[in-house]
Amino acid sequence: MALPNQQTVDYPSFKLVIVGDGGTGKTTFVKRHLTGEFEKKYEPTIGVEVHPLDFFTNCGKIRFYCWDTAGQEKFGGLRDGYYIHGQCAIIMFDVTSRLTYKNVPTWHRDLCRVCENIPIVLCGNKVDVKNRQVKAKQVTFHRKKNLQYYEVSAKSNYNFEKPFLYLARKLAGDGNLHFVETPALAPPDVTIDLAAQQQHEAELAAAAAQPLPDDDDDLIE
Amino acid sequence: MADPAEHREEEEEAAAAAAGEDEDTGAQVAPIVKLEEVAVTTGEEDEEVLLDMKSKLYRFDKEGNQWKERGTGTVKLLKHKETGKVRLVMRQAKTLKICANHLVATTTKMQEHAGSDKSCVWHALDFADGELKEEMFAIRFGSVENCKKFREMVEEIAEQQGKNEEKENEEVSSTAGLVEKLSVTETKKEENAEKEETPAEEDKKDAKE
Repeated sequence: MALPNQQTVDYPSFKLVIVGDGGTGKTTFVKRHLTGEFEKKYEPTIGVEVHPLDFFTNCGKIRFYCWDTAGQEKFGGLRDGYYIHGQCAIIMFDVTSRLTYKNVPTWHRDLCRVCENIPIVLCGNKVDVKNRQVKAKQVTFHRKKNLQYYEVSAKSNYNFEKPFLYLARKLAGDGNLHFVETPALAPPDVTIDLAAQQQHEAELAAAAAQPLPDDDDDLIE
Repeated sequence: MADPAEHREEEEEAAAAAAGEDEDTGAQVAPIVKLEEVAVTTGEEDEEVLLDMKSKLYRFDKEGNQWKERGTGTVKLLKHKETGKVRLVMRQAKTLKICANHLVATTTKMQEHAGSDKSCVWHALDFADGELKEEMFAIRFGSVENCKKFREMVEEIAEQQGKNEEKENEEVSSTAGLVEKLSVTETKKEENAEKEETPAEEDKKDAKE
């Protein structure tokens, strides 16, 4: 099923719309999945940015076309025009900001006007922050509107795979679908010349002096 | 502030949240694809696991002159049962996507990272995305001893690869007689190339005149 602005691939693919207030972490969440990076700097998304995101499952490879939309009204572009033909969605709010949760009903209303009866995940992001303003038990909107809710942290990767797994299961109608190892292809042999190697070692020594970001030891256990 | 009742309440709250997360509160929606179960291949079937550890991987962004996270998960050193070649494969936890995939070459050398004795850095031609790419990696472990274990094993493997290549070279030298004949042929080709270059030089002389 080829949608506008998306190339066709020979495995199942879905348009996933991501909405929510500006600064809640929509782009950071997507980027975490794409490159592994945690982007600290806030740059408002203009209009929409579409990123293909592949997963390997026990039922083969699937792709989400992530339509990462502007959260700030002034950068909204076509606004809900980006929702057309959306097959699943994520509504993101920030648990450290009450206003972003308060605005969830508006995002949900606008989304449902365009996309009827699609699976939607509500995400409360930034649960790694100690001083959260919206507590887990205060989040009730999902029960009223039949959404799934996950507490996530793009920073700590807490639950970061669950929104995609939930949506994949719903779209396939298979509650047992799960992610499996992406096949690791055998790397080809390479010949390395000595001059290049010396340059690499010099570059490496310089890089070794640069600090690693976010040294939290708790993440590795 | 450290009231036991309050603490218990927090634990109960966390437990309730965790339980709630497995509950499906979503609407019943009609599936839009029918997927059949398929045989899963990890690409590691012909390999023996030499090392398997939790770690956090970074790649160096030359443009920004900074390290950036690549993934948190498990790093493995895998030895092919037939070829004896060893590669490093790192996978992101939960999604199981590949963060790094490269051979451990004779030239692979681990350096200490300046800021942490739980980390080390190296250069590699990485095949994680299915195409070879120059990368500088840094890896961080949960403990100093795990980092040391990883580093020592990689260096030992690189050294061993070097010895293996020397053996292969010795085998090659035993057929030196045949190579000499080939080298004679190559010399002739070179002579022809020189002859072919002469007209170009003459053209240059004509141009000057």
